[in-house]
Amino acid sequence: MSDEVVLQTRALSKVYRDFWGRQKVRALKALDLNVHRGEVFGLLGPNGSGKTTTMKLVLGLLFPTEGEAVVFGRPASDVAKNERIGYLPEESYLYRFLTAEETLDFYGRLFDMPADVRAQRVDALIKQVGLDKARKRPLQEYSKGMTRRIGLAQALINDPELILLDEPTSGLDPIGTREMKDMILELKKQGKTVVMCSHLLADVQDVCDRIAILHQGELKELGRVDELLTIADVTQIRGRNLSTDCQNEIRDVIARHHGELLSMNNPTTTLEDLFLDIVRDSEARPGRRTASVAAAAGGDAATSDESGTPDQPAS
Amino acid sequence: MVLERQILPYLQWLLYGEPGGMGALLRFVLVLLGVGLAALVIGFLVAALRYGFARGGDMTYRTVSGGFVELLHTRWRRVWALAMLAVKEARRRRVLIALGVYLVILLFAQWFLSTDYPEPARLYLSFVLTATTYLMLGIGLLLSAFSLPSDFKTKTIYTVVTKPVRAGEIVMGRILGFTIVGTVLLAVMALASYVFVIRSLDHTHEIDAAALKTINIGGEMRGYDGSTDKEMGHRHLIELDADRRGLAEQDRGHVHEILPDGEGYDVSGALGLMKARVPKYGKLAFIDRNGAKKDSGISVGYEWKYRSFIDGNTQAAAIWTFDGLDPNTEDESLELALIVRVFRTHKGVIGQPITGSIKFRNPETGQSSAESSFLALDQQIDEMSFARAMFDPDDNPVDLFEDLVTDDGRLEVIVQCLEGGQYFGFAQADCYIRQPEGDPRANFFKVNLSIWVQMVIVIAIGVTVSTLVSGPVAMLFTASFILLGFFRQFFLNVATGQEYGGGPLESLVRLVTQKNVMVDLGEGVGVTIVKSIDAVFQGFMWCVGQLLPDFRSLSAVAFAADGYNVPWDRVWQDLTLCGAYVVGLSILGFFLLRTREVAR
Ligand SMILES: Nc1ncnc2c1ncn2[C@@H]1O[C@H](COP(=O)(O)OP(=O)(O)OP(=O)(O)O)[C@@H](O)[C@H]1O
Ligand SMILES: [Mg+2]
Repeated sequence: MSDEVVLQTRALSKVYRDFWGRQKVRALKALDLNVHRGEVFGLLGPNGSGKTTTMKLVLGLLFPTEGEAVVFGRPASDVAKNERIGYLPEESYLYRFLTAEETLDFYGRLFDMPADVRAQRVDALIKQVGLDKARKRPLQEYSKGMTRRIGLAQALINDPELILLDEPTSGLDPIGTREMKDMILELKKQGKTVVMCSHLLADVQDVCDRIAILHQGELKELGRVDELLTIADVTQIRGRNLSTDCQNEIRDVIARHHGELLSMNNPTTTLEDLFLDIVRDSEARPGRRTASVAAAAGGDAATSDESGTPDQPAS
Repeated sequence: MVLERQILPYLQWLLYGEPGGMGALLRFVLVLLGVGLAALVIGFLVAALRYGFARGGDMTYRTVSGGFVELLHTRWRRVWALAMLAVKEARRRRVLIALGVYLVILLFAQWFLSTDYPEPARLYLSFVLTATTYLMLGIGLLLSAFSLPSDFKTKTIYTVVTKPVRAGEIVMGRILGFTIVGTVLLAVMALASYVFVIRSLDHTHEIDAAALKTINIGGEMRGYDGSTDKEMGHRHLIELDADRRGLAEQDRGHVHEILPDGEGYDVSGALGLMKARVPKYGKLAFIDRNGAKKDSGISVGYEWKYRSFIDGNTQAAAIWTFDGLDPNTEDESLELALIVRVFRTHKGVIGQPITGSIKFRNPETGQSSAESSFLALDQQIDEMSFARAMFDPDDNPVDLFEDLVTDDGRLEVIVQCLEGGQYFGFAQADCYIRQPEGDPRANFFKVNLSIWVQMVIVIAIGVTVSTLVSGPVAMLFTASFILLGFFRQFFLNVATGQEYGGGPLESLVRLVTQKNVMVDLGEGVGVTIVKSIDAVFQGFMWCVGQLLPDFRSLSAVAFAADGYNVPWDRVWQDLTLCGAYVVGLSILGFFLLRTREVAR
């Protein structure tokens, strides 16, 4: 992970309005984020918290009500940025009358790829996502998981630097989920930047370097997954062959006894606990949650968002 | 054939237009500027309303400036990919059913179109070509209006616009793709209709050899005459030479060739069913009953202004001046055609046509030929041939080309009506010099090309409108655009106050208060208010009118039906117009799509 910021949102806000311009939903409130090159960034939040909205704003599919999204240093409305972006929408928005091959070929052409490069790439991707047997079948015959796979292949057709995945594992079986996660880690290894949103916490915990948690359009938490899940004021000791005496005096004398110290560190909570805690807390006390996040959002997000740690460790 | 507007040479049309008018190019630029300015103002107002003055202005500026940069990034491969997608989509939407519909139409036509008709080819051609036109416009409408909206509805557009696709490419790809589909359909229909017309009207006749009479002149056997049997409701008079070869004379617009076949005769299929006459038009002026020069003749009551009339047995005459003739030509004769609208104030001799006279005059020297008379049949094309060796009124020989055509190639044709109380009506296109006929198949192609042009315009409108609104709305909008396009002239006349009854609101008031269009509404506050609202309406209508394609004048069906060649000048004009619509609408569609929030 480098310091280069690939994606940045500055006080990004979105209010959905109806036809007459009346306000319907405040889907996103002044979001500040920085995503660095080479990291896997997770957007977390309950249903309707504004994850998809954020992605659409970043892609220029929606226009922000306030603030702006900057991708590769260009405004989100600039079409040229799409050359380096891959996007997997939350549902399959593909032409159902095309076959897998035709689909990938079509999107390849949209990148102005010459025929030979295209053919090669299409073939490799179809194999990569495991659709080799179904490559000549129209998408309307595909199962949900297969549709998800062709969607991913479509997002990778241009070998993008930044990949936006909207709930990549939804609809996948456990094996497919595993494969998808491996694929994301593989992409990370290739130096790509991945932004994914999900409410499947295990997935996020497995692959993401950093996460942001959204609730009702507000940023509630932001930081490294490992740091976020660390409980700072608790020390965990695991031991073997400890005598009863030793166990009784363990806290102050462990070093003086001949027990084998396996580990001595801070325990971690599960992301599930953290997540539930944040959502519950946010519902009880609306508004910005933590001092650190508030500082990060209000000040220069690029420098301060790294330091975000929970002030209320779960137990 | 009715030719209300003269077809100008292409370059003149493009650069200068009709005398006192405006060239098509300038008009296009003005319309484009007008629309662009209007779009800019509206766009800014909407943005300013939503986001405030400064931000709105900034957004408008960025949209425009960024837009032109983006236009430069258009890639053919993307346009083509999107076009092919449109083709596949159209196939999936079963457009080929249209061909089935067309076949059914032709089958029904077989039933109710009668071959027993003075000009069956006209009936057949105008029917099939009109059917093709409406069907193609309908297909263009349905294909184009629903495509983009369905992409928005199924959100497939998300995956497309998150690729480096420029909005203009989406619009152009759609237009191109549907045009390809339409072209294939039209080609099949054109072929089917051609075969249909030829097959339906082709026939041959039997000749009873025993019933023919020999023609003896001075004891010498010169040939035979008689008639064929009755087939498709008509029989031909025939005239054969001594070798028993000859022609079944023109009837129902066609002839047959006759060759001897043993004792009997071999009669060919119908020849010349389809024609492509190539007329050379002149300028028409009139002389009234007292011999004074005038631009138009007299009106015979509430008639369409296209033709005006000369009264019989007076000095009134219609004079056509042709130019570009060659006084040194080797031609043996001048081929002329005359169409007369006969207006009778009394029956005259029942069953007898009205007699008219025709003569040629040199506009410089005043030298003229003797009058020759003709029988005027109402609205029939009378094809005449004048041998170059003529006599002047004093019976001195004159040469039609050497003496009566000026050095710069001008010749006058003067037509009069010889019977008192009867009238002849003429329009400029009613008298012309017949040039060698064109290939009817090429002409058929050109007429179908004019249908193609209309289809492409409809597709372009449909696609552009559908960038902004949902499918049904886009269809309604495009359909009303087409409808208004058919009545463009009337629409513009209302807009400029040339129609009786005032603007739309005034008409409504008249309708409700049951005052006909001629009644004066008087003065008063109410009338003033109505009229000023109408003035706004009419201004708006005028603006819309500038954008409307004139589908009626784009249609070349009448050319094929009446058997006239479509001049290439016109074909180029149509194609240019089509290109202008496609370019203009693509630009408009580009900006509309670009400023649209895709994921709303
Ligand atoms: N087109 C729209 N018009 C009006 N409101 C919308 C629209 N799209 C989303 N919203 C609202 O915006 C809020 C955020 O929606 P969004 O789709 O971003 O949620 P999400 O976090 O992606 O949820 P999920 O986990 O269910 O996908 C929701 O309250 C939703 O109702
Ligand atoms: Mg979502």
